Amino acid sequence: MTSSTAPRAFPPDPAVAGPTRQGSGPGGRGPRGGSTTPTPTPTARTGETGRIRRQLPSSPWLFVAPGLLVVGTFSLYPFLTTLYHSFTSKQALRPGSYVGLANYRELLHDDMFWIALRNSTLYMVGVVPALVLLPLLLALLVERQLPGMTFFRSAFYTPVVASVVVVGLIWVWMLDDRGLINSLLETVGIGKIGFLSDQWLLLLSAMAVTVWKGLGYYMVIYLAALANVPRELHEAAAVDGAGAIRRFVTVTVPAVRTTMVLVGALSSVFAFKVFSEVYLIAGPGGGPAGEDTTLVMLIQRVGGGLTGRVGYASAISVVVFVVTVALMLLVLRFDRKEDA
Amino acid sequence: MRISRRAVAAATVLATVLPLSACGGGSDSDSSDASGDIKGKITFQTWNLQANFKDYFNGVIKDFEKEHPGTTVKWVDRPAEGYSESLSADAAGGTLPDVVNIAPDLVAPLAKAGLALDLDKDTTAASYRKEYLDGAWKSHQIPGLEGTYGFPWYLNTGPMFYNKRLLKDAGLDPENPPKTYDELFDQGLKIAEQTGGKVATLGQVPTIEDFGRYGAELMNKEGDAFTFNDAKGVAMLARYKELFDKKALDPQVLTATPETTGTKFLTEAIAMNPGNAHDLETFKKDAPSLYKNIGITDQITSTGKVNMYVMGVMVNSKTKEKPAAVAFAHYVTDPTRQMSFAKKVAIFPSTAGSLEDPYFNKEDGTDETRVRIAAAKSLKKAVNYTPVLFSEQMKTELRNNVAKALQGKQSPQAALDQAVEACNKLLKQS
Repeated sequence: MTSSTAPRAFPPDPAVAGPTRQGSGPGGRGPRGGSTTPTPTPTARTGETGRIRRQLPSSPWLFVAPGLLVVGTFSLYPFLTTLYHSFTSKQALRPGSYVGLANYRELLHDDMFWIALRNSTLYMVGVVPALVLLPLLLALLVERQLPGMTFFRSAFYTPVVASVVVVGLIWVWMLDDRGLINSLLETVGIGKIGFLSDQWLLLLSAMAVTVWKGLGYYMVIYLAALANVPRELHEAAAVDGAGAIRRFVTVTVPAVRTTMVLVGALSSVFAFKVFSEVYLIAGPGGGPAGEDTTLVMLIQRVGGGLTGRVGYASAISVVVFVVTVALMLLVLRFDRKEDA
Repeated sequence: MRISRRAVAAATVLATVLPLSACGGGSDSDSSDASGDIKGKITFQTWNLQANFKDYFNGVIKDFEKEHPGTTVKWVDRPAEGYSESLSADAAGGTLPDVVNIAPDLVAPLAKAGLALDLDKDTTAASYRKEYLDGAWKSHQIPGLEGTYGFPWYLNTGPMFYNKRLLKDAGLDPENPPKTYDELFDQGLKIAEQTGGKVATLGQVPTIEDFGRYGAELMNKEGDAFTFNDAKGVAMLARYKELFDKKALDPQVLTATPETTGTKFLTEAIAMNPGNAHDLETFKKDAPSLYKNIGITDQITSTGKVNMYVMGVMVNSKTKEKPAAVAFAHYVTDPTRQMSFAKKVAIFPSTAGSLEDPYFNKEDGTDETRVRIAAAKSLKKAVNYTPVLFSEQMKTELRNNVAKALQGKQSPQAALDQAVEACNKLLKQS
């Protein structure tokens, strides 16, 4: 929406138009009035609106000030500092000096950066479709009012509230060479699979943990969206002979499309910034030879500790920021296009 | 003022995705003397000791406060995980505690940033030097810097535990475990062969200390370049590759941590694992079947010298209560306190003459004492193989390149060359 459309959409209210119509100052009379009869009500309103008008420019800012303070202190200031540091050779305990684009140039030639970028991108591509679709299917299953359904809703939501560290450790135990899953596979004659030793299986395992942990969270979002889908639409489609799959495609999906976009946007940002799951599954080293390192893991590794290269880690952080913003804008643009 | 939806969306995006943070910097050290009235409030930080030694440290603090009226010691303990990160944040934020439990490789960057007190320059602190073993005092000296930056605290050297049953099942003599790396490699290959690769001998890839114990020269004499890609280093990595290929190393060795390897040893999935006397309690409690078959031998070494881990206590050079901080750092690490701490846990004092105590020499028939006596004996010719300047980032470089060699993506020589090159680059940047 552009600002030029605003006056048409919200024409000035005469009651609050103030001096231009009603005259200026408290108790003022309209310039065209000429009547000597007191008109207390409009006068009082004018006085009141005058005060309101004077308060208008500043009061919204007072309301948002606490939020601005928090965002400025904990997001904007660190962001600007990081941006600045990305152009310096700063280390954890040393100020460093301005080095221009040297950190960014070094990134271009850093194999580990490209590995991390590849892994973060793969993670997003692998996780997002599953997190958009599976929770929707789960929500469709548990939205029915059947006896005991509350238990299933709670059960599916449990991983969301569990600590990611606990979840990661449980999965490591299950995926271990001698863990539950490999024991089962061996029992049925398939043999052991190196979930925790192969670089690609490690990444897939971490993705599975992210999806498993995120299912319940997005399921709740979808449940809220599904509650707003008019039942009549389903009934009408059923009367027209549409089966369950057709009703899902033609009624449910369009009705929750906005929610799907939201889930897609949120999950893609979180997936691109993944740290904990890969750290726990692939180990602090990021898998064999660091081949499963993601961008945020790389930031932590390069910039962490007493000898961390804060300037270089900041440059990677800026790249993560740019990519994430681009992702969000892409999703918003996609959403607008669909709205049009 | 109207704000467009786009602006709101952009602001939301910014608030959502800003993942970034910043740190401050250090400054030069203050070398004024620590003589003067011992009083004031100081903070003492330990490294993951509160869980098991709360009463001990509370007692030490209480005794110190009693001996020095007017002093208050606030004790904080940080978890082992992320200790250097927390130190980094404290140092950058100007909130580094007055007295800090530290290791030589962690004190190096703090000393370079002027945040660690040079004990040699401080008359009071330097006067305590004679109480410590000379080698231990020197362990907190940094190549390229003059001075000593921490009081030596406890020393540790762990034995190698092995599973007698697994060795016996593989046709080896359980009473004659490997002592050198070559023996270890030969026996490891035999175990893998006899068990069809089902039992691995080791669960960890070689670390910088392994290269040292194998005989590789870790750094040049000037201390300004790493050299572990020499013939010895390459030879050792080539043997490790052979072990990996023949499944004598655990299949998950490339992603293992000491904790996961410890668990595998408990479950008898691997035959040998380094540890300390404290582990015996764990075996007894958590893995009785392993405990029945546990064998204890010296650390594997081809140089005749085992690795010694050194812990120290640093004084923050910016402390406002320098006399109290120096006095407390010395108090915690003095011969009396070190000896009493050593009797509570399987560590060894770094103070002169303490290792002559009967506690470290007299057998009483228990396994714990046997381990303690063996370790104390080996400490006399032990070496701290961890180079003081070997940072966390360098450890990562070494581990990643070792993994490439084991996977066959690079030859051992190329992998070590690359690791050395990366470490030297980081060394120059530090």
